Amino acid sequence: MMDSEKIFLLFLIVFVSISLLIVAGIVTSLIINSYPIFLRDGFSFIFKSVWNPVKEDYGILPALLGTLISSAIAISIAMPLAISLAIFSAEIAPTSVRGFINSVSDLMASLPSVIYGLWGLYVLAPILNQYIMTPLHQYLGFIPLFSTKPIPTNLFTAGVLLAIMITPFSSSIIREAYNAIPHHLKEAAYSLGMTRWEVIRTLLGYIKSAILAGAFLALGRAMGETVAVAMVVGNTFTLPRSLFDMGYTISSLIANQFPNAEAYSYMMPALYSGALVLFTIGLIINLAGLYWIRRVVTRG
Amino acid sequence: MSWAIEVQNLNVWYGDKHIIKNVSFRVPKNVIFAIMGPSGCGKSTLLRAMNRLLDLNPHARVEGQVKINGINIYGDNVDVTWVRRQFGMVFQIPNPFPHLSIYENVALGPKLNGLVKDKSQLDELVKQALQKAYLWDEVKNDLRKPASMLSGGQQQRLCIARALALKPRIILMDEPTANLDPVASSKIEELLLELKEDYTIIIVTHNPQQAARVSDYVAFLYMGELIEIGETSTVFTRPSNILTEKYVLGRMG
Repeated sequence: MMDSEKIFLLFLIVFVSISLLIVAGIVTSLIINSYPIFLRDGFSFIFKSVWNPVKEDYGILPALLGTLISSAIAISIAMPLAISLAIFSAEIAPTSVRGFINSVSDLMASLPSVIYGLWGLYVLAPILNQYIMTPLHQYLGFIPLFSTKPIPTNLFTAGVLLAIMITPFSSSIIREAYNAIPHHLKEAAYSLGMTRWEVIRTLLGYIKSAILAGAFLALGRAMGETVAVAMVVGNTFTLPRSLFDMGYTISSLIANQFPNAEAYSYMMPALYSGALVLFTIGLIINLAGLYWIRRVVTRG
Repeated sequence: MSWAIEVQNLNVWYGDKHIIKNVSFRVPKNVIFAIMGPSGCGKSTLLRAMNRLLDLNPHARVEGQVKINGINIYGDNVDVTWVRRQFGMVFQIPNPFPHLSIYENVALGPKLNGLVKDKSQLDELVKQALQKAYLWDEVKNDLRKPASMLSGGQQQRLCIARALALKPRIILMDEPTANLDPVASSKIEELLLELKEDYTIIIVTHNPQQAARVSDYVAFLYMGELIEIGETSTVFTRPSNILTEKYVLGRMG
């Protein structure tokens, strides 16, 4: 008996070590491979707006801004949707519909992103262009955010597509937290003569940490998403002047440029350091999200 | 005589299960009325039927009448949020909202109900409620701190203050001391005797000693049926039903 347990433990340790080593290996290679460009340009590489392989001059600022802008659009559209969806499924929908909604939502969360990309490019982008972006530009074009004459693929489209992709994910985090609210708190709220909406509002306050966690984890996903974004973001390397500008994100930049990278001496380090920047932002965001989730769990 | 609450031929089912069986009783004003009985006899269900908190359970079905001030709360066109505001309710598990401050917990009800016009009125109401719940002196310097920092007994008195801030006529208590230590429990019991001056209190308990200590009238509920009801002193000294006698002597449940 003891022997088989020891063997089991040994296997466990080996497999766990392999996983940890892989992560460590990835981080190490990110640092080693991006080192040359940091050695040559320092951190100015992050804040420059240039992508000139001929002169071996690289800076990722437009892509970094593109990542931040498209994710910001995504999160600000996704959160109201995610909260509404979670509340509808947890509190309002009849029990018979609940399972169906949750299954659809979970299915949406697990669809391959290339499907979203294809749909985003051929269905979503033209619709957004015709019914939202063009009118916004026409009537509110004096606001800098909408100042560019839109074409279907741009940062805004990428943001909306990302919002659709992350909504089910953060919604399920919020739904789980809402369903975990102790029944006696719900009773307390109703016993005070609250209407259903007042109860929901009060209870949302109780799970605000989970909502924040859901937002942060979804934000992490939005920033890392590659294929779908690359298909709708426009892939143009200029500093964005408005939401309707074509752009790049760090991940779509890497996906689009790596086939050429080996032909140049500094493009590979430039792409690696883009990855390192993305990794660092993602790490911070995920840690923040996990911190808030832990607060939910430990509060009891 | 006018009654605080009248329950007439009340029946409750959970699905096919008959939980409360044709129960009728009336409670005079400014008394403590205890509903006692062994676990699972339907006490909590009966209590929740009185302020329609039972509506939260989609499987529960209610027949019969519950009248406050002559109005049947199960009648047509009765606003259920109005019904619940006529009662303050205190639960078995102290359940202040842990994410809200001590002040906000008490202020929540009156703010939503529009009971107060401005901030100073609200402050005054919160203070009064906390004073009546014997909690003011312990928390007056910590009003902005989260309710979760209080001890169990303090949390339960905070819940009483939260209920009182609604200015209810009747306070419903569902085994309010079941999760408290003896010292905290006796504090709550003392408090009940004070509150009787201004409110009618209906308390559910599985502990006959507690019913004997605090109540003026007592009802004995057994398997959903009202076995006996009367003045507490009579029920405990000369019970008319053998089941009641067994129960108060501690030979049951």
